[in-house]
Amino acid sequence: MTIYSCAPNWEAMLTCIYIARMSGIGHKNLQLMVEPLEQISFLDDYIHVEPDSALAEKVIEAITRKISPGFYASLAYCSAAYEPETLDTIYRVMLLGFAYGPQALDMLQYREVMRFQQISRRVGREICGFREFTRFHSMPGGAYIAHIEPKSRIVTALAPHFSDRMPSEHWMIADDIHREVIVHPKDSPFFLWNPTEEEFSDLLVSEAANDDYTDLWRAFFDSIAIKERANARCQRNLFPEWMRKHAVEFIH
Amino acid sequence: MNGLQLQKTLEEKLIILSDAAKYDVACTSSGVDRAGKEGFLGNSCAAGICHSFAADGRCISLLKILMTNHCTYDCKYCKNRRSNDIPRATFTPDEICALTVEFYKRNYIEGLFLSSGILGTPDNTMEKICEALRLLRTKYRFNGYIHVKAIPGASQELLYSAGLLADRISINMELPTMQSLSTLAPNKSMAGILRPMNQISETIADHRLAIGKDARMERAGINRHLMNSIFGPDTDRISSKKSEQEKLSLLTASNALSVPAERIDRDLKRPFAPAGQSTQMIIGASGETDLELIKTTQSLYRSFDLKRVFYSGYIPLNEDSALPSLDTPVPLLREHRLYQADWLLRFYGFHAEELLSEETPFFNDKIDPKCDWAVHHLDRFPVEVNKASYDELLRVPGIGPTGVKRIMQARRYGSVTFEMLKQMRITLKRAQYFITCNGKMLNRIPIEEKFITGQLTMLEAPERAQITESGNSMTQLNLFTDFHLTQMAAHG
Ligand code: SF4
Repeated sequence: MTIYSCAPNWEAMLTCIYIARMSGIGHKNLQLMVEPLEQISFLDDYIHVEPDSALAEKVIEAITRKISPGFYASLAYCSAAYEPETLDTIYRVMLLGFAYGPQALDMLQYREVMRFQQISRRVGREICGFREFTRFHSMPGGAYIAHIEPKSRIVTALAPHFSDRMPSEHWMIADDIHREVIVHPKDSPFFLWNPTEEEFSDLLVSEAANDDYTDLWRAFFDSIAIKERANARCQRNLFPEWMRKHAVEFIH
Repeated sequence: MNGLQLQKTLEEKLIILSDAAKYDVACTSSGVDRAGKEGFLGNSCAAGICHSFAADGRCISLLKILMTNHCTYDCKYCKNRRSNDIPRATFTPDEICALTVEFYKRNYIEGLFLSSGILGTPDNTMEKICEALRLLRTKYRFNGYIHVKAIPGASQELLYSAGLLADRISINMELPTMQSLSTLAPNKSMAGILRPMNQISETIADHRLAIGKDARMERAGINRHLMNSIFGPDTDRISSKKSEQEKLSLLTASNALSVPAERIDRDLKRPFAPAGQSTQMIIGASGETDLELIKTTQSLYRSFDLKRVFYSGYIPLNEDSALPSLDTPVPLLREHRLYQADWLLRFYGFHAEELLSEETPFFNDKIDPKCDWAVHHLDRFPVEVNKASYDELLRVPGIGPTGVKRIMQARRYGSVTFEMLKQMRITLKRAQYFITCNGKMLNRIPIEEKFITGQLTMLEAPERAQITESGNSMTQLNLFTDFHLTQMAAHG
């Protein structure tokens, strides 16, 4: 088996897809993976692929023109997922797309389509989760900052929701795990910023700043619960512990 | 009263007035999609967004508060009733606005749920509520979600203003019969509740027609595929009600709210309650059967086009000979069953009369209403997954609207197997008794009522225990997550 691997970003993944497809070694004999690789086997050959915007463009062009723009959007959406087989699944679903057209996404008879849909749904739930549980803190100067620790790279998928919600505020969302930051200046489009380590540690202190409304929110959070119906298990199922890290109502 | 009490801090007020509001169960911020706009704060998402889950497992989506917990009424079941000696507080309109926008900016909430005790008269109360909402929409430029309680007895103009300022408007029915209402809420009357409910319903319909929409609210997409859903074309509005509804129609003057003489809200150019109307009923404070409750629910959906009917298991807060005693447990399982039945009406094409009858007026506490229906209609099963219609598939225990959609999609490209059903996250543990795939059942088992009932009872035991032992309100939310990725737009 030949393993093509690349950095965990969409441009690198598209380049990897291009190189693998053009390799001519047969789809059955290759696999695509995102780095870092969890396990390395002496039975396999490994090829690292560097991102190349021109090659990535070609793949985008081919998918949107020969399959459909919607199909491309579905693949890009799924690519945020942390599951190790995500890239390979995307690749195989793309091949089915070239063979059958956009309806390939509904052909659950193919295991890869089924898997693709499962991963996409899970990413969707993760995005939904952070749309709900992301918490902003006010910073001096009237800006707001949020820190999140998602499993998948979803910060760019979150950004449109928040820029619609708060178009006329300055705000930032920092993904502390993948070190990606969305910056939204008041009344302007948002952009993705990859800060240096030093810049990032400056951002981290922001959460400690005192914010009166945080205390009011905690007071509300406690008083709104009906004690006769207390149910920690139910609360945990609906608001998983791993998502609570920055939810101030749980941090006293 | 001393000076200290008069000057409560914002936090003290918030604690008192959220504690006083928490027994209202409507929590959703759903029913309307509205994009954000520059210069304003907020948008709205039809699916609704929960922002946290409280220690009781209930979703927190809105800043749920009373404007005041002072009340001139004396409803027996209510903590805020006039005769109770409790700490009281009143928010100023600016306090309500500041809390809403500041919480909103921190992504704690989707918006505001504003209710109130009766401050002197219904008109005075409603006027103050409208004042706060108007301030929020204008000075504070808030474009997020607002759910407002309409105070029965308030003038038409005020109700009209409230509907223009809010996204959802609700009047709590609280008790489904005139008799219980007059015993437990002596200051309220059925006519006084149904009349404004009908007027609001008509006004919503008028506004929808005026902007080219269907008069009736959008419902879950699955209903389009169902032959006989309660939201079907034969639905009667209140004005043409017969028999059972005749009583109701007599009580209601069936006309829309009259436009306020001076429409101060004209500049806001907002639709009237675009997320529709809802209500809630208390379960277990009076003697109604489940059949009466779900029939009332069905009538409310069909006659007033309500978006949601919520149930609130009675929590004994006051000692009173007309009420269950203080040690009465909260009827959580009963509430859970009613929500399941409500879901069957709204998403599965069931009618109330199919689920219960005069002979069996209460739900089975051992198995859920859908399983119960299925085991009593074994002649309709098993259905062949590769051939069955939407209606037939939806009636299979373990298959929900999302599952049906996936099955229908997959059927277009070949036949569906049990393996695929598993991958589609269909609960085969339940469904296996009622389906075949390509003519075969999953296991060779008898299609026999007692056997299947026993199996299903066993499967439900852990869930039942969790509800009854620890106090649980999962139904709504679990069902909610089930639909999360499909047809949320029509959720209530
Ligand atoms: S009107 Fe009745 S239910 Fe409402 S706050 Fe007053 S006493 Fe309570």
